[in-house]
Amino acid sequence: MISHRHGNAQRISALDERAEALHLKRDIGIADARAMHPSIDIVEADPEADRRLLEGLADWCDRYTPLVALDGADGLFLDVTGCTHLFGGERAMLDDILSRFFHQGFDVRAGLAPTPGAAWAAARFCGDRIVVSGEEEALLAPLPLAALRIAPETRASLESVGLRTAGAVMAAPRAPLARRFGAALLLRLDQALGRLDEAVSPRLPVAPLSVERHLAEPVTLTEDIERLVGLLATTLKTDLERRGEGARTLALLLFRVDGAVSRIALGTSRPMRDPRLIQKLFHERLAALEQDIDAGYGFDLVRLSVLAAAAFDMAQADLTGEVADDGADIALFADRIRARLGEGAVLQPVTVESHLPERAVAIVPFTETPRRVTPPKKPDRMQAPMTIFPPERPIRLFRAPEPIEVPATEMPEGPPLHFRWRRALYRVTRAEGPERIAAEWWRQAPGDAAASTRDYFRIEDADGRRYWLYRQGLYGGVSQIPPRWFMHGVFA
Amino acid sequence: MAMTAVARETVFALRRQIAKIEGTLPERLQAPAGAPLDADVNADITSNADLTIVRRGIAAALPDAFLPIGIERLDAALSGGLPRAALSEIHGLETRNAGAVAGFALSLTSLILKKAHGLPVLWIGTTEIFREAGFPYARGLHASFGIEPEQLLFSEAPRLVDALWIAEEAARMTALAAVILEIRGNPQRLDLTATRRLHARAQSAGRPVFLLRQAAGPEPTAAPVRLIVSSAPAVPRATVAGPLAGSIGRPAFTITIGKSRTALPGQFTLEWNPDERVFDERTGDERRQRAKNPVSVVSLSGSGKNPAAASGAVLAFPAVGSPAPGDQPPPRERTAHLGPRRAG
Repeated sequence: MISHRHGNAQRISALDERAEALHLKRDIGIADARAMHPSIDIVEADPEADRRLLEGLADWCDRYTPLVALDGADGLFLDVTGCTHLFGGERAMLDDILSRFFHQGFDVRAGLAPTPGAAWAAARFCGDRIVVSGEEEALLAPLPLAALRIAPETRASLESVGLRTAGAVMAAPRAPLARRFGAALLLRLDQALGRLDEAVSPRLPVAPLSVERHLAEPVTLTEDIERLVGLLATTLKTDLERRGEGARTLALLLFRVDGAVSRIALGTSRPMRDPRLIQKLFHERLAALEQDIDAGYGFDLVRLSVLAAAAFDMAQADLTGEVADDGADIALFADRIRARLGEGAVLQPVTVESHLPERAVAIVPFTETPRRVTPPKKPDRMQAPMTIFPPERPIRLFRAPEPIEVPATEMPEGPPLHFRWRRALYRVTRAEGPERIAAEWWRQAPGDAAASTRDYFRIEDADGRRYWLYRQGLYGGVSQIPPRWFMHGVFA
Repeated sequence: MAMTAVARETVFALRRQIAKIEGTLPERLQAPAGAPLDADVNADITSNADLTIVRRGIAAALPDAFLPIGIERLDAALSGGLPRAALSEIHGLETRNAGAVAGFALSLTSLILKKAHGLPVLWIGTTEIFREAGFPYARGLHASFGIEPEQLLFSEAPRLVDALWIAEEAARMTALAAVILEIRGNPQRLDLTATRRLHARAQSAGRPVFLLRQAAGPEPTAAPVRLIVSSAPAVPRATVAGPLAGSIGRPAFTITIGKSRTALPGQFTLEWNPDERVFDERTGDERRQRAKNPVSVVSLSGSGKNPAAASGAVLAFPAVGSPAPGDQPPPRERTAHLGPRRAG
């Protein structure tokens, strides 16, 4: 028995069959239930866990159709349009779903109908019923108003005027109904009867391409899964070739016999369709996830989907059959590293037009950009003039500038004489600067104290190490905040 | 003294034996004077009357098996330069020397990239070292070492094992110009086996792997060369009117040979020339040398029918992207600013 807190009292929110046999019902207070049956076992409700379970089930239902949507806290919508023949017809599919859920230990009621509204009513009020097109009215007519998916207040007011079944509402004239009970009632009615279209919005984006294999005997070994990936990728290759595309994002779905679904996604840095390479990438990914994937009793359905695809440039081989493409090695290398260690494992710097040193280079995950075949641009009027003596920039930059203590400077605006960084004292022998870098006012939030002017100094200490320091803020400014010093980088 | 000489002779004799047995890696060994030579080892006598044994095995010595650093004394001490297809250790004794260590490794990379145009360089580091010593800054690398941002790839691994795995995968790629693996301290994982794996992969791929070790003590590894780098005070910037007092010129490093095949000790102070991408050795007297060789600063008059004959030493201001100094710019270029000006 599961309890939940409603108002100020613990009440029963769900109960099992044995509790029902004791004439307990939902919404009875726990205190009353305990008084009747002191031996009952009560567990606190956990809506989060319920939600997770339902999402897990929705993942599992992905095996029947890619269009799976959650319905409230306790239902699932499956849009099986065009999928039923894969499972041997509607009846066979429904039986398959029910028997599999039964074996997983769930008590499931299902209905199949041409409209989501009718299917909802069939599942909740008839149980295991298949409604063919045109039968919706006959299905709904004897059902209570709750089958129409309307708000409880509307239902109560409908009942108060004597309309107690869906059939009664359908028979009543529409205009007064709309005026008195709102458009939502008629909308629900029309949706259930198929007069208006209702789209099921799927939880996950539908993959443009996917191939799967149902297995009579579940597999558990990683090597078997990898081999299956190779086979599926071979099938996928023909589809990709027909579309002239290569995969950029791939997902491998492993459906475990007991209903758990493992989803393994990976991205590639260039469009890919070679089954061998796809298998290699999944090999790395599976090796990295070995601890996380629990094969349990084995996987009985393996599906490989292409989540994102891009145009694939065929590389033409020369007469000796060799394809001159040196970028492929790097791309594949980067993919393999990332498949195992995550997206940030191979990075690439991109220069950005900015005066702020930390913004001037952005570090982004590696993606293969088309190689620049044309020679570098000639300097034209639009381009900034090349400086003969570019400002000196350090070779290493600290991610966050590290505060340093500067006890004294020779001049208020000058470089420090000594400074203390990471608890060690450094004596400055020579200094160059300052180079003043102002904050970018067009990006600055008003009142942002951190973004004040910096004066950079390039200094050398007594041992010959060269550092890049800056003073943030100015002496004698209006803000009266004393300037602070930071270590920002090191030179060669 | 006599003892050391005898010991040295014994070491050389043993080396020759090993060279005969192995005969795979080409290298030069300096033999003590008067040492007997085996008949099947090629020998030639250099001008210094040092006997140099060149070991040539089954695999013929490739002409570019070594990367010459460009400093004669250092190259001689390393028997021809840094091995190109090998793991090389570059040590810094303290983390705060990270700038110098990285700078030296990058200047070596820059030397390699002079030959291998456009190939990318992969820099692998643990999260720890990038936090402690700073992340490589692409703008600075481009300005100081001429490495384009598109040529750079970084790899940051939270754990040492992952960094080593990436390095092993990268070391066997021929599509990379060089691999830099940066690690802090003396972790147990980075033992003889791990370095041997890296070395073997680098050898088979023919690409160098630079193992930067910050704040690390020397310990046995498979790398044939270990250089200990610390920073050296830079000389002031050179101007027409002499050195500019108080300024900080080109980066300078102090290199100590910690380990090499020849086992010759040595300490060198090198200066990296970012404009020409070469090393200069600093022997401590270039200030005087510069004073001795005054530079004529008057530019040549190139206009007119009879231009004056070029005088001896003409040195332009070192400018970014300029050709090597000493090269006379072609007359057309020189006269460009004296030509008829367009109105407007």
